Amino acid sequence: MDRRTAVSVSRWLTFVLAAVAVVGVLTMTGCNSAMPTAGNVDNKTAKALADKGVRFVDVRTPSEFDAGHVRGAENVPLDQLPTALTAWDPAKPVLVYCATGARSAEAMTILTGAGFKTVYNLTQGIVAWDGEVTTAPGGAVAAGGGINAAAGGLPIMYEFYTDW
Amino acid sequence: MKPVVDGLKKQYEGKVAFLLYDVEKSKEGAQLAQQFGAQFVPTFVFVNTDGSTSDQIVGEVTEAQLTKALDKLK
Repeated sequence: MDRRTAVSVSRWLTFVLAAVAVVGVLTMTGCNSAMPTAGNVDNKTAKALADKGVRFVDVRTPSEFDAGHVRGAENVPLDQLPTALTAWDPAKPVLVYCATGARSAEAMTILTGAGFKTVYNLTQGIVAWDGEVTTAPGGAVAAGGGINAAAGGLPIMYEFYTDW
Repeated sequence: MKPVVDGLKKQYEGKVAFLLYDVEKSKEGAQLAQQFGAQFVPTFVFVNTDGSTSDQIVGEVTEAQLTKALDKLK
């Protein structure tokens, strides 16, 4: 390797390192911003989004939805989401949630894949929701209360089973 | 177990919320089961309105056992 090649290689390396650093800083800034433009959000951010009129979509089953949901949310079970989203404007923000954040993570992938620009996922789901919960449109409103918020303030019987 | 649970669900409508999860098919159910430390199926977990667990029954149960646990819920 002659001297000239060595200089050009080192310049090239400097450029690559600088580019990596810029991308890294941008990524970190994105993660740390208090109000993300999209992605995973906590209760506090979700409430702020609700105040701004962001569409709240509950991707659980209708029976789970009836038992208690975030006030103002609409119910679109995960399996119906691909059909329902065709009627929505992909430019408008959407927040998805479920019980624990598993199904809503899938919903977020579906929406993003369909070209939705701003999709939020309530990561902890309704079991950790501490905001207002209602059992039916215009129905009784239960104050926030963690896991029971999902049941509209009622006690819960869970059954974990499988079809063997 | 299903007919028994369905019957109870009707009987306790408006008093207790019934949330049933197939842990093999539902990722969510598996996650919740894990939260409650439920390792076997079926497992029944009874949660009071304050979020405290009132009872946890593992394995096949009788209707009477379920009713007793449901009546204890507050």
